[in-house]
Amino acid sequence: MLDFKLTAPSPEARPSEEVYDLIILGGGPAGLTAAIYAGRARIRTLMVVGPLLGGQPANTDLVENFPGFPEGIDGPDLARRFVAQAERFGVHLIHDTVTGVDLSVRPFVVRTDTAIYRAHTLIIAMGAVPRRLGVPGEGRFFGRGVSTCATCDGFFYRDKRVIVVGGGDSAVIEGLYLTRFAREVILVHRRDQLRATQIHQERAFANPKMRFVWNSVVEEILGEKTVTGVRVRNLKTGETSVIETDGVFIYIGMEPQTELFRGQLELDEHGYIVTDRRQRTSVPGVYAAGDIQDPLYRQLVVAAGTGAVAAMEVEKYLEMYPQNHYER
Amino acid sequence: MPLLNDEIRQEVSKILADLPGPVRLVMFTQEFECEYCTETRQLVEEIAELSDRITAEIYDFQADRAKAEELGIDKIPAIAIIGAQDYGVRFYGIPSGYEFASFLHAIQSVAAGKPELSDATLRVVAGIQKPVHIQVFVTPTCPYCPQAVMLAHQLAIASPLIRADMVEAMEFPHLAVKYQVMGVPRTVINETVHIEGAAPESHVVVKLQEALKA
Repeated sequence: MLDFKLTAPSPEARPSEEVYDLIILGGGPAGLTAAIYAGRARIRTLMVVGPLLGGQPANTDLVENFPGFPEGIDGPDLARRFVAQAERFGVHLIHDTVTGVDLSVRPFVVRTDTAIYRAHTLIIAMGAVPRRLGVPGEGRFFGRGVSTCATCDGFFYRDKRVIVVGGGDSAVIEGLYLTRFAREVILVHRRDQLRATQIHQERAFANPKMRFVWNSVVEEILGEKTVTGVRVRNLKTGETSVIETDGVFIYIGMEPQTELFRGQLELDEHGYIVTDRRQRTSVPGVYAAGDIQDPLYRQLVVAAGTGAVAAMEVEKYLEMYPQNHYER
Repeated sequence: MPLLNDEIRQEVSKILADLPGPVRLVMFTQEFECEYCTETRQLVEEIAELSDRITAEIYDFQADRAKAEELGIDKIPAIAIIGAQDYGVRFYGIPSGYEFASFLHAIQSVAAGKPELSDATLRVVAGIQKPVHIQVFVTPTCPYCPQAVMLAHQLAIASPLIRADMVEAMEFPHLAVKYQVMGVPRTVINETVHIEGAAPESHVVVKLQEALKA
């Protein structure tokens, strides 16, 4: 069945030397909700979208736990609705990659791949990215046999054998998705049981194409020109063995994208930005929202909520410190 | 039965309102239509109905051989998006799923005829002396892919020496094999240089320069 998504961007004007009231970094649920609130408050807002407009929902099959959609909603469709709502309130979207920030100067400076922007306040909502294994072969084969996006790349494994690493909901759901293409899906998990929700586990165990390798970790991804196998180590016995495979899909959780802020903002021991109940960071005028500051819940509705809080706090902050405050 | 429902048609009409110039969607199919040729033709015709600045031209890949060669079309379904001039913007395979967004964006960009690229990129592109062929392999379910496709098409608009194709990997599996596509987006520049994933503009420019030296 063909579908036609409008999620992506319309052309935008080249950046100006203008100082924005607010720059939102990241175009996922947290950033877009912040944009909706900021837009309604008539705050001059620029959003630097990053790699995926709509954020993680744009890469999710079905969202079943967002209030207001009793039948569940298609993730990309929900993402598109967020974007449409933010655009309706006048947010200016830029599709670019943030390469650096300077939080030691006022106004704050945001460098992207192609331009430099300045703003009196920032909301950092760049979310989290799939965690990598950090084993030999992974980097070399990334995008060429190693993937973190089954919906993108599943097609290339028709009638092949693939390995899925992980044991949570994503690993199991994406593993099941891959059974549509692959002849066999082997799930390698470090524990002796899955962490995934019961209903997904039942579906996985009932699927004749799925096999499970328990108590094991991937130590190396093997191959010359293409992936041919993985070396796994059994954590119980210490034995290593090679499993032949054509591809490896990694679903071992997410990690916050905070390298850019290290040394400028307080981060916790796992790299999440530390915020208070008002989404304030360690630098006044800089707020964070969504998964980049949430090691606990990482839920769409929570991300959206923190985005709203951050935008309301920005509004208060700007009232307290009128724009020309910095130009004196 | 239309491909685009009323909601999508309305949104597309809005997106394509006020195009700054005329756009021709030159589509190639054949008498015995290939998989998705029918739908691609229908899509082009439906889009053309939504803006009076867009015209659809349907050609037969076999019967209109000369036209295909003129536009460098070597497989179908194919769409060449042509504005004030032919910038070398091509779609091979149906632009459905996320690629529909790339398609709409390409129409807007070709109508404007002005690339949305940084000054640094434009300087590099202005210095190009040799032809450049960029192929971006995608699947319609890949949310990261439009970024790579849009960037390639902007480069094509920026230089008469650059042509850029979206290639839908599922419809051209032999090309996916030939170019060892195991993940998308995968960008191939002049057959020699590869980029995995949706890379930032500056990185693509570096790879473009690398391809020119090869």
